[in-house]
Amino acid sequence: MVRFENVGLRYGKGPEVLRDITFELEPGSFQFLTGPSGAGKTSLLRLLFLAMRPTRGLITLFGRDVATMSRSHMPDLRRRIGTVFQDFRLLDHLTTFENVALPLRVAGEKPESYRDNVLELLNWVGLADHANAYPPVLSGGEKQRAAIARAVVTRPELLLADEPTGNVDPALAMRLLRLFVELNRFGTTVLIATHDTHLIAQSTAQVMNLDKGVLTFKDGNGAS
Amino acid sequence: MNLTGKRDKPQGFAPPGTALVETNTVMPRVQAPLRTLVLALTVMCYLAAIAIGAMLLINRAVEGWTSDIAGEITVQVREIEGADIEQELAKAATIINETSGILAIRVLSRGEGLGLLEPWLGKTAILDELPVPRLIAITVDRAAPPDLQTLRVKLAQSVKGAVLDTHRRWQGELTAMASTMRWLAGAVLLLISGCAVALVVFATRTALDANRDVLEVLYLVGARDRFIASQVERRFLTAGLRGGMAGTLAGLLTFALMSATGRFGAPSGLAEASSRLLFGPPETTYAAYLVFAIIPLVATVIALMTARWAVFRILRSIF
Ligand SMILES: Nc1ncnc2c1ncn2[C@@H]1O[C@H](COP(=O)(O)OP(=O)(O)O)[C@@H](O)[C@H]1O
Ligand SMILES: [Mg+2]
Repeated sequence: MVRFENVGLRYGKGPEVLRDITFELEPGSFQFLTGPSGAGKTSLLRLLFLAMRPTRGLITLFGRDVATMSRSHMPDLRRRIGTVFQDFRLLDHLTTFENVALPLRVAGEKPESYRDNVLELLNWVGLADHANAYPPVLSGGEKQRAAIARAVVTRPELLLADEPTGNVDPALAMRLLRLFVELNRFGTTVLIATHDTHLIAQSTAQVMNLDKGVLTFKDGNGAS
Repeated sequence: MNLTGKRDKPQGFAPPGTALVETNTVMPRVQAPLRTLVLALTVMCYLAAIAIGAMLLINRAVEGWTSDIAGEITVQVREIEGADIEQELAKAATIINETSGILAIRVLSRGEGLGLLEPWLGKTAILDELPVPRLIAITVDRAAPPDLQTLRVKLAQSVKGAVLDTHRRWQGELTAMASTMRWLAGAVLLLISGCAVALVVFATRTALDANRDVLEVLYLVGARDRFIASQVERRFLTAGLRGGMAGTLAGLLTFALMSATGRFGAPSGLAEASSRLLFGPPETTYAAYLVFAIIPLVATVIALMTARWAVFRILRSIF
């Protein structure tokens, strides 16, 4: 599903923030990506959701070489990926409902066809009462949940989440983790970047550790 | 969709039918560039309307003049030493009368001929002594005009001092002027269109730049250029339509005002012509209205097509 081979990344002329990253995500796997702040977790995810291209190395996504992919093929690929951004990236001028429904709207689906599903999802993440609220009036935790709902609304094949529990209390964090696990059970490959060791301890998932741009496999579960 | 398997009991679940706030576009912050664009398009369509209106006025005027002139030709007979002018005039009249395609012929008396010169020379006694040429006014049947070349040759052969003046030279110059004006109006319209295209591109770029963060999110959730174009396009369509209508109406109003000046005791050819352009019977004015109606359509098409093209180009260059 995802393959990194000797991938390196640098911003501009800066130092390499990712060095010789090699790993593979099997379809249907559930993987944590951990490491201290500044280790390069967000940067690695950026490569995965096609916001950046690596400076070197090979990235294969859904069996396609990212480097040689044409611009017009990217939307198709991105629609198979759900992303929870560390900074949420909600659109302030759209309601919470519209933000969550955005991937469906962008894909050309009619509001009548997704209305109920989106409302149900909003209810599940505890935002049913905020369907008509705009992001600027939401709390950090509420924004986070809206961002998660938007990432999973299309039931993507690959879910990438960058610190998805950074702004919520432990109880809600558990609830969100359950959502991810549930999604994974239905076939979605999940990659969660987090420095929340408590969250990782709750799960039996595999853990990749990133430190100063170097990737190591911490867990004994045998990540490939 | 059921992501959760066994779901918690719905709590505060918005019941089906709850009114959801709907935002029509996912692109905010295009209002300011579009306002400017509407204003600019209004001015341009106004100028286009004026150029087209002026063109129509000139066309009508030239048409009128040339058809008047073609309906009226003259024969001048100069006094030649040793020839009796009255006799020569009679000869000319006979030849003209024998020609087909002539409706009426009138030999102007010496007094009438002098009368025509008075405005230029004044009423002086010298005129009586000058050998003033005599004139024959001929009304031509415009439906079946005479062969003027043959008439010219015949007159030159048989009548001493006769010259046929068909006013063709003037006619030619007028038509030449009219066609120059047509080219000029065309060039003006072309310039205006080019300017409009440039402005639309500029407005598109401004709108996209102002929404860069939004565009990024749209791309990351899987939007295609086509989707973004469709979000932008609609705004430009209405902008084009609004600017086009406003400008054209202002142009029409200008011509209406010009024709109204005639009614306030300031008679001028322009007032009369403007009035005929807009307020005549339908069969003479419909063409003008049709041409004016095309202006907002063209403005809309330019705004729409250019914006679409520009969006694709700009998106490819920045993402
Ligand atoms: N847009 C950027 N431009 C330049 N440097 C960046 C940018 N984003 C991140 N970095 C740098 O890359 C390194 C890794 O950052 P990041 O991927 O955000 O780490 P993490 O998500 O693990 O905290 C940091 O040293 C950070 O300063
Ligand atoms: Mg980060």
